[in-house]
Amino acid sequence: MTGLAVDDAAWASAWRRRSPADKLLLCGGLVGCALALPAWPGSVLVGLTAVVLALGPARVPARTFGRAVRWPLAFIAVGALTSVVTVGTGGLGWAPDAAARAGSLAGHALAGSAAVLLLATTTPMSDLLPALRGLRVPAAVVEVAAVTYRLLFVLLASLRTIREAQTARMGYSTPARGWRSSGALAAAVLTRSWDRARRMQEGLAGRGMESGLRVLPEVLPSSPAFLTASATGLAAIVAAGLAA
Amino acid sequence: MHIAEGFLPVTHAVGWTLAAAPFVVHGARQVVTEVRERPENTLLLGAAGAFTFVLSAVKLPSFTGSSSHPTGTGAGAVLFRPPVMALLGTIVLLFQALLLAHGGLTTLGANAFAMAVVGPWAGYGAYRLVRRLGGGLLPGVFAAMAVADLATYVTTAGQLALALPDAETGVPGALVKFLSVFALTQVPLAVGEGLLGVLLFRALTVNARPELERLGLLAAAPEPTR
Repeated sequence: MTGLAVDDAAWASAWRRRSPADKLLLCGGLVGCALALPAWPGSVLVGLTAVVLALGPARVPARTFGRAVRWPLAFIAVGALTSVVTVGTGGLGWAPDAAARAGSLAGHALAGSAAVLLLATTTPMSDLLPALRGLRVPAAVVEVAAVTYRLLFVLLASLRTIREAQTARMGYSTPARGWRSSGALAAAVLTRSWDRARRMQEGLAGRGMESGLRVLPEVLPSSPAFLTASATGLAAIVAAGLAA
Repeated sequence: MHIAEGFLPVTHAVGWTLAAAPFVVHGARQVVTEVRERPENTLLLGAAGAFTFVLSAVKLPSFTGSSSHPTGTGAGAVLFRPPVMALLGTIVLLFQALLLAHGGLTTLGANAFAMAVVGPWAGYGAYRLVRRLGGGLLPGVFAAMAVADLATYVTTAGQLALALPDAETGVPGALVKFLSVFALTQVPLAVGEGLLGVLLFRALTVNARPELERLGLLAAAPEPTR
């Protein structure tokens, strides 16, 4: 357990051993369809496909998927509602095509979010980062991102431990104490991150690794059957979306 | 407040990505140079990125009774400078999209422009202005964190207004709408983030003064006279 439910789901997913490139192709295709096809039926098909694939073959826990979707859902609901309220000389009112406009906007966004979440809940970040090298992102940048990914779990654990200790000492019993504790918490996490980085560097330098953290990437072979099924499914969604 | 996946039309998503790209590439070049000259700083930069991500997990007691989360880019801009934050902020946004489902991949460019470019630069500008006017570190940090948060929110509202203009009053009307709706949470959050920054840096001046001196935020303490 890392403390991030989406990351935990990615490591436990039945698609964990599938090639990241295969999953990127499928999820990228679904995101593209969600953006480009009309909301009805394109976005609905994309959303349903992403949810069915995640909860079915990829075996992502429904609770994790549902909880993760809550955040974008709140933004989408507020944003879509705001976009169809008109501000005119007569005050507030509804846009003439309010329901269709809100539905279309929410449909595109929910379908796109579900497709990204399918990728996120089936592919750990450490599998995706090497793919950035293929996009010609400099090695130093990918390495900084990899260190960020590895350190954030250490810092999140520190954050939870310190907050637990502060809470046990009545650190959040009043708003004033809560503010003081939050500031001390942020400072403690920052100084720990510096200290942890310095000690890791000293440890690596002591082992003669002074030019970067070289690791052997895990090779996850591509599956022709998965690619064929993905291409067929995406083609069917495009055909159905354009035919309506 | 990150724009969710699929919320922006394709042309806007591409446009904001192109707008953010020069700043992120500039930040990446600085990081590449830094890592080439001092490989040991890879870990420090990674730690800075992780801290920015984790800072967004610190709950702030909210004026409305609920809790909210800081963006952390103002503190990052003061500590590590805006060009580096353009890259680190983008990495953090990518992680937030894929680990927390906040934001998205096609909206990464728009979110990066608001949170990793405009926010840090506006916050750092406010910090430099306060210091130049004779303000101390803590007032400067308050200004940096509050302004970075407000600038991010205003930019995001502008991006949404451009993408979703009001049916009657166009982009200006939509801007008023989005600014008003998100002001309910973002204005108190900006003040809260400023306060958190003051408390954070006050604790750092006590516990991590050498690091702040090394980063040039505090003048080196004079050697004690015998």
